[in-house]
Amino acid sequence: MNNSYNLERPLIMHIDLNSCFATVEQQARPLLRGRPVVVVNRRTDTTSIVTASYEAKARGIKVGMRVRDAKLLVPEVVALESDPAKYRFVYHKLLGIMSDYSAHVSMKSIDEGAIDFHQATEAMRFRELREIGAEIKQRLKDEIGSAMRCNIGISTNRFLAKTAASLHKPDGLDVIDATNLRATLASLHLTDLTGIARHNEVRLKAVGITTPLQFLDADEVTLHKIVFKSIVGQQWYQRLRGYEVDDVASTIKRVGRQYVLESRTLGRDEIVKRLHHLCESVGSRLRAQRKVARGVYVYAKTPDHQYWHASQMSQLPFSSDTTINVLAQQLFQAAPRMIQEIGVHCYELSDEGDGQLSLFGDVIMRERHLVHAIDEINQRYGDRTVHAADTLQTGEFVKQKIPFGSTRYL
Amino acid sequence: MDDEIFLHERIEVVAVFGAGLNPCRPLKFRRANGREIAITEIGLRHPSIQGKRTLHIFDVTDGSADYRLEFDSQQLTWQLTREADHYE
Repeated sequence: MNNSYNLERPLIMHIDLNSCFATVEQQARPLLRGRPVVVVNRRTDTTSIVTASYEAKARGIKVGMRVRDAKLLVPEVVALESDPAKYRFVYHKLLGIMSDYSAHVSMKSIDEGAIDFHQATEAMRFRELREIGAEIKQRLKDEIGSAMRCNIGISTNRFLAKTAASLHKPDGLDVIDATNLRATLASLHLTDLTGIARHNEVRLKAVGITTPLQFLDADEVTLHKIVFKSIVGQQWYQRLRGYEVDDVASTIKRVGRQYVLESRTLGRDEIVKRLHHLCESVGSRLRAQRKVARGVYVYAKTPDHQYWHASQMSQLPFSSDTTINVLAQQLFQAAPRMIQEIGVHCYELSDEGDGQLSLFGDVIMRERHLVHAIDEINQRYGDRTVHAADTLQTGEFVKQKIPFGSTRYL
Repeated sequence: MDDEIFLHERIEVVAVFGAGLNPCRPLKFRRANGREIAITEIGLRHPSIQGKRTLHIFDVTDGSADYRLEFDSQQLTWQLTREADHYE
């Protein structure tokens, strides 16, 4: 194990478009620049804020706050409905720019990613990374628009690079290396560190660790055996010293979608149609990843915050909308009457074509061909050109939203 | 909420098709009521893929209102689809 700080040259660059969706809206609509803007998923005062512009944040508006509460705080706040196509465009532009510098680019979400320069071309590696960071900032302005800003952090691992990117928002460019690691951590709170939220903060405080510097100075055995009681403790020990432990490819374990009902007075038949719409959406995502599933999980949340869920496994793998819907609807019959939110997930995923065909091979192949033909039509003429008659009216309500946390569907 | 007006209005557009990072730049447009609007800034241009059909969406301003113009690359037509000017 490494006890000292990582002394190598910082070659990881983290790029973060903070307040991304609000910034993109302000880029698209020049009259909104300098104003408090929030982005929401639905045009109602009861909906929660997805993103707030820096001007809105400066006046106390927070992500997750309801629009009506934000209006009490800042009456002139402008609430815009999210426009995923616009954000996807900016994501692909950012990804394109980042990929010009190294083949090793990993996007963590729609608005942040990292460039690993370790295996970049020699010409690129010999360039000063601060200079490349400044160049990327300028390219964002030139290639997307003059109001685009980003935070850039450079360090020896992904964690410290992300930490560096959060030091001077909204347009920062900072480096953390062995020479300034202690000084930087001394300026932060425990919960400023990515991965240390309330729960982990309590764990650390239980052993007297109340600052990032104390966290850095804690010995490995304490972190491993007492604080985290797992390998996670050793990973934190390495991570804080600038060694890479987060360069791991994630695998898809489930594919799902949820929907907060637009009204609490919807009849059961209407809720069931929206569940069907979600099943079509999940099926489409599943097949886009060339996966098949064996399990379906359905949940519902009630207005008094009760959580109901049910799941079932199938003997045969499936990926068609019809099968997902049939399984989900069977489960949903036991759901409570008063519902505020519904969701459906497929799990136990494997690669399409991995399994052996059963005695029902002909039936399965016929269904696959039919589903494939429908997918081709939808790819050619646009999403939901062909879908179940049951969901004819639901598209007005159950719209595609911004996929936070995953870039698989962008 | 934001006071956006959603429209579906065919418009006539004067645009420059040139070189550079933004090869298509609408300069001004004439609305159905005959009013001419001079574009002072293109905020963002992004494509909207609808199957094999591509719409090029231009969010623009004339300095007093924001507009959304959509250019259908298959039909070669322009539509005004949004207007927003009541921010106060």
